[in-house]
Amino acid sequence: MLQLLLAHIAAALVAPALMRLMGRRGFLVLAAAPAATAIWALVQTPAVLAGDGPMVSLDWMPAIGMNLDFRLDVLSWFMTVIVGGVGTFVLFYCSWYFATGAKYLGRFAAVFVGFAGAMLGLVTTDNTLVLYVFWELTTVFSYLLVGHYFDRKGARRAAMQAIIVTTFGGLAMLGGIVILGQIDGGSYSLRELVANPIDSSGPLLPVALICLLVGALSKSALVPFHFWLPGAMAAPTPVSAYLHAAAMVKAGVYLVARLAPGYAEVPAWRYTVLVSAGVTMILGGYRALRQHDLKLVLAFGTVSQLGFLILLVGQPDQGVALAGLALVGAHAMFKAALFLTVGVVDAATGTRDLRELSGLHRTLRWAFIPALLATASMVGIPPAAGYVGKEAVLASLRTDDVASTVTLVIVVVGSILTFAYGARFLWGAFGSKKGVEDRPVDREAAGLFVSPNVLAVLGVLAGVFPLMGETLLLPYAETYPTGEPGHLALWAGWGLPVLLTILIIGAGTGLFLVRERVERLQGRAPKLPDMDQVYRSMMRRLDRVAVVITSRTQRGSLPLYLAVILTVMVISATTAMAVGGVTVASWRWWDTPAQAVVGVVVVIGAVLTARARRRLKSAILAGITGYGVVMLFAIHGAPDLALTQALVETVFIVIFVLVLRRLPAYYSNRPLAADRWWRIVLAVAVALTVMALALVAPGYRVDEPIWVLFPEEAYVFGYGKNVVNVTLVDIRAWDTMGEISVLLAAATGVASLIFLRTRSGSVLRARDADRSSVWAEDVPDPLAPLRAAGGAPSGGRGRQWLSGGETLAPQRRSVILEVTTRLVFHTMLLYSLFLLFSGHNAPGGGFAAGIVAGVGLVIRYLAGGRFELGEAAPVLPGALLGTGLFLSAGGGAIPLLFGGTMLQSVVIEFSAGIFGDIKIVSTLLFDIGVFLVVVGLVLDVLRTLGAEVDRQGEAAGTSAPEIAFDSPRDTPNDIRPAAEVGASRSEGGSS
Amino acid sequence: MNTWLVPLPVVIPLVAAGLTLALGGRSRLQGIISAIAITLVVLASGALMYLAHHDGPQVVNVGEWSAPVGISLIADRLSALMLLISAIVLLCVLLYSLAQGLADGNEGAPVAIYHPTYLVLAAGVANAFLTGDLFNLYVGFEILLGASFVLLTLGGTGERIRAGSIYVVVSLLSSVLFLIAIGLVYAATGTLNMAQLAERLGNIDPGMALVLQVMLLLGFLIKAAVFPLSAWLPDSYPTAPAPVTAVFAGLLTKVGVYAILRTQTLMFPEGRLDDVLLVASIVTMLVGIVGAVAQDDLKRLLSFTLVSHIGYMIFGVALANKAGLAAAIFYVAHHITVQTALFLVSGLIERRGGTTSLENLGSLARLAPALGVLFFIPAMNLAGIPPMSGFLGKVGLLQAGAELGTPLAYVGVAAGLLTSLLTLYAIVKAWNKAFWQEAPEPLPETSIPRSMFGPAAALAAVGLAFAVVGGPLSTYTASAATDLQSRTPYVSAVLTNGDRGDGTSDEAADDPTQDPSETESATDDATDGGDDG
Repeated sequence: MLQLLLAHIAAALVAPALMRLMGRRGFLVLAAAPAATAIWALVQTPAVLAGDGPMVSLDWMPAIGMNLDFRLDVLSWFMTVIVGGVGTFVLFYCSWYFATGAKYLGRFAAVFVGFAGAMLGLVTTDNTLVLYVFWELTTVFSYLLVGHYFDRKGARRAAMQAIIVTTFGGLAMLGGIVILGQIDGGSYSLRELVANPIDSSGPLLPVALICLLVGALSKSALVPFHFWLPGAMAAPTPVSAYLHAAAMVKAGVYLVARLAPGYAEVPAWRYTVLVSAGVTMILGGYRALRQHDLKLVLAFGTVSQLGFLILLVGQPDQGVALAGLALVGAHAMFKAALFLTVGVVDAATGTRDLRELSGLHRTLRWAFIPALLATASMVGIPPAAGYVGKEAVLASLRTDDVASTVTLVIVVVGSILTFAYGARFLWGAFGSKKGVEDRPVDREAAGLFVSPNVLAVLGVLAGVFPLMGETLLLPYAETYPTGEPGHLALWAGWGLPVLLTILIIGAGTGLFLVRERVERLQGRAPKLPDMDQVYRSMMRRLDRVAVVITSRTQRGSLPLYLAVILTVMVISATTAMAVGGVTVASWRWWDTPAQAVVGVVVVIGAVLTARARRRLKSAILAGITGYGVVMLFAIHGAPDLALTQALVETVFIVIFVLVLRRLPAYYSNRPLAADRWWRIVLAVAVALTVMALALVAPGYRVDEPIWVLFPEEAYVFGYGKNVVNVTLVDIRAWDTMGEISVLLAAATGVASLIFLRTRSGSVLRARDADRSSVWAEDVPDPLAPLRAAGGAPSGGRGRQWLSGGETLAPQRRSVILEVTTRLVFHTMLLYSLFLLFSGHNAPGGGFAAGIVAGVGLVIRYLAGGRFELGEAAPVLPGALLGTGLFLSAGGGAIPLLFGGTMLQSVVIEFSAGIFGDIKIVSTLLFDIGVFLVVVGLVLDVLRTLGAEVDRQGEAAGTSAPEIAFDSPRDTPNDIRPAAEVGASRSEGGSS
Repeated sequence: MNTWLVPLPVVIPLVAAGLTLALGGRSRLQGIISAIAITLVVLASGALMYLAHHDGPQVVNVGEWSAPVGISLIADRLSALMLLISAIVLLCVLLYSLAQGLADGNEGAPVAIYHPTYLVLAAGVANAFLTGDLFNLYVGFEILLGASFVLLTLGGTGERIRAGSIYVVVSLLSSVLFLIAIGLVYAATGTLNMAQLAERLGNIDPGMALVLQVMLLLGFLIKAAVFPLSAWLPDSYPTAPAPVTAVFAGLLTKVGVYAILRTQTLMFPEGRLDDVLLVASIVTMLVGIVGAVAQDDLKRLLSFTLVSHIGYMIFGVALANKAGLAAAIFYVAHHITVQTALFLVSGLIERRGGTTSLENLGSLARLAPALGVLFFIPAMNLAGIPPMSGFLGKVGLLQAGAELGTPLAYVGVAAGLLTSLLTLYAIVKAWNKAFWQEAPEPLPETSIPRSMFGPAAALAAVGLAFAVVGGPLSTYTASAATDLQSRTPYVSAVLTNGDRGDGTSDEAADDPTQDPSETESATDDATDGGDDG
């Protein structure tokens, strides 16, 4: 069986190439796959009847109970023969049906063969989850086939409708499968489920069964899901014949037949089947009487017949089931044959409208004959298979209980309708009509007629030998729980069935004769709620609701998103505190009063920051909170942290100022007053919550904190007395390594935003600059007359305080700043090196050292402009950053080469003559990396936010800032003194 | 012991990031270095997965600092799987962007910055999966967020800056919340080592533990984009360059999911917030997918499905039974690959059609049939069409829900099925519009370089391959789930000696012979030495 499945997959994969190579004759080759299936199944017949058909079991995903279990019992065998046989004939037909140069045949053939394979898997697997796999595959393939003519709007819409409706059912079925699998006594094996029916009193079993039925009903196009099938007629006719008549829509019938022996007596099952299938049978027949498109007549007829079939195989009665199974076979043959003849008619005449067709019984004789035979089978004229099945139904249905009586009435009424639309179809397609000229007919190739004729003849032959059908199908019918085993026969003696048959034929003929009146009557009858319309309005409503909900949840407003997050935080944290019943154990106002003082300053700074309207002001006020934190670190005896924090704050202010030069001086778009109030409320709530959390948490500590282990291990194992530094570069060096990569990323990010698409270029050198050009714009130069024309004498190396000073606009130069810079720069660099190397035992370390060096660069830039910066650090920041990270991470990995652990430190001690004994800890390499990254970051920021922004500003004159998040437009309540525009820029330049 | 492998997924990308940045401007060399680095990460992750599966969790005490003093890195089954999948995804996306760069003559993006940042992102993701320390997890988040800020705003167009500002600010807020939570955890327990927390959180007052659980979850839920904390995602992801969106969508939210999975199972095994998480997951599924239905831009649509399907994973975590955890892990692995594949393909669609707006696209089935196949397969996979990975994960989740059997769990099962249907609806609508329908305006006459197809096709194929290796993989995820539930493999692998790890720092401290000599002079001399260099 697996080989056959693989053969289908292989055939589907080679189909596109094959069709390109052979054109439409490729279908003949591909037909080998379903043909092999049918032949294989037929060969297995004796074994299957003996009850030991082939079985395959292969583990796939045992963890979720999904295994490749296949089994060929009577029902599977029967379905396999149908699927393989009809598939073969339809593919055969395809090779004449499509025009020679038809497009997309490769894709069509691949999907079609893939579908045949999926169908084979569906009817042979024993595992419900695998069944679902194939089930959904047929849905998807059907989608692609219905949408074959995707340039037609109708086809696209029908395809989508089909996949949505059947997947809806499919997913419900999946739910049912999972419940049946997980419920007590449940299983994922069909055989198990039927052999040992679940006996559960709760609501789960009925729910699961209804879910499964929803799947089956939607797949087989039963009410209320029937509407997708007529739409699916947009597919090419072979698809309609195979998927939407013989095979795919039978999947639902198959599933019902498969489970009915175990569950047909459960009331939920029984009534769902009875109502849905019964209504479908009548409704389908009724609607078929009014269609003018031959395919639609057949489609509604199929809907009606599918209702009929499920009505039969879904009953617990053996005789009814046998009749139902016989009809499944009969239906596959006659309906496929009918669709194929419609395809012939369509191809030969160019229309399927029965009002335009006339005289075809003469001109298209080889289509008329199979149509006649197939219709005979459909409406139940002896000796066709359909007649045998219908007789068996009438014979087996009892009249002693309500359900059976209702079924009988439905069957009779439905059969009358079937007779009527069958006759109407035959007359409509082939009859000669008064007032309609004979339709001209193209000559069609003989090959096109083969398949419908064979199928139709087989349908009659199957009826002629009813005993054969009985022998083959009885073993499965006998597994049904109640009733007598039925019989299939051409003549079962006089009785009610014969009278009913006469009634059906008589009434059906009558209905056909008054067909025009029926059509008119239907046109006038009050409109039944059309499920197609219901579906469409539901989907429209869904789309509308989706838009409404999404517009509520997705406002695109950052303040709102933040407010939601903070609100959730406040609510969940306070709820957790209340539910958990946590309290503050003990607390005090401060450790030292100095803390309180600093605290008050920090709070004031924070409040003022939030209130500030001017960007620069808020940046500087934010610095107050930062320096407050520096004080807190210092008070707590953490000089390292205090030093680092102070340096960071300093650099930050410089960066802020650099950035703010290019932003509007004032925040714009202030929120409305009402907004301000709830923002304040939220802010206070967040603050109180966090405060409460901070107060509560330490009181619950019961274990000794791990810091007590740090000092000794830092000294003994990390060779350092400065615990903070050892922690940074050794104990938690892994953190530090990560953080410097963040710095690297941040630096590259700034560069990417400022340099945008231009390559980040080269280092600016003073010799390349125009003299007196930097920072020249729109600042008055009152001292200009005092300078001699031509400026100061240009000095060579050593005659300038700063080598880039010449490049500055004269009014921007400050001798004091230049001299001071000249004096302190190298001292600062030395100091930074001192910090770098002393770090392990005294305050310092690579981070602080890097910032000190960075501040040195900041001063050079501020004193001498961007060319001076290039002179001070004639390297690209990327090189520093990259090398730094490379040293830290790569150096940390060196111990791995010697069998050590990542970032393991070793101490190297040696005697260096007059310098005494030198002791170097290998983490120094790591710290140098950190140092380089920090210097690189500062350099990068200066180069981008400083130098490049200068350049852009000078190039653009005084044009509007480019990087402004909020609209620079003034808002009514934004009072913005015009005089202060650009104030921040001059501050940035001269500070 | 092969624990030297453990830090490599972080260290290799970082070293390579340094190298590529230092080599800025030589884009060919950068590309080669990046590709080699990520390939090595794939290999190392694969090896770790093998070791974790056969020999148990692989633990390193970084620098021999015995846990809980130092930082420990742990590759157990869960982290190793996450590492491997994300490394494969990172490699595919890298190759895709290299191909894109070659096709565009490197004009399209500032490559000098792209490579180092991308590698840093890779390191951050790996670090988050490997770390056994709560603060280091924060660092891992910072690394990947820092890099993601840069990648999201590449090119610096107004749209990207606007989207980036939402992303950056929300991410920073979530980091702050996470940091607060870390502070609280340390205050209440005195440790940040996750294995030790697993022990200590059981000792403290359950009420306080609940508060800590809530606070920790908050940050993670924002990162994972769980409703109502998810609105930032669809507003920020779609505007980035295609490979960037692809890798973000695939990996970043999953890091949040991973953090939830790890902390909830390891540190809070009582699952007192499971019902809350269940409700959140159900609402996330539905609100997310409804958002997807409402979109008419392919990238935005995919972003909404991303949010929605995060709900699936959280659902599995919230069920908290073995089947649920196993299915959640499986689903994470599936979703990383499929979502990345789809965003890569939508990048290809954008190249071919000039837009991702479904109103303006069309005719692609006719013009670019190969692209059609490439979109259709992962799209159907996302919609949970069998037998692909999405279906396998979904079935596991449904089974877990039915196994738990509470009414809320059944509501979740129903919501999961409905979400699946609506996902299909959204996808089919997009397919009908972009591929089948005639384009309103003729599409530009371009073609897609073949080399960009490869990586996208490889990822799409992974979804299919899951069906083939589904058996072993589901066995693996089931064992991973068992590990998570029993907790002992993790805890005892980290704290090998009772309350300490297997690093040697504690032995040194206990050893009286190890008495370091005075080091005052050494520092002064070292300064001189440094001046020379």
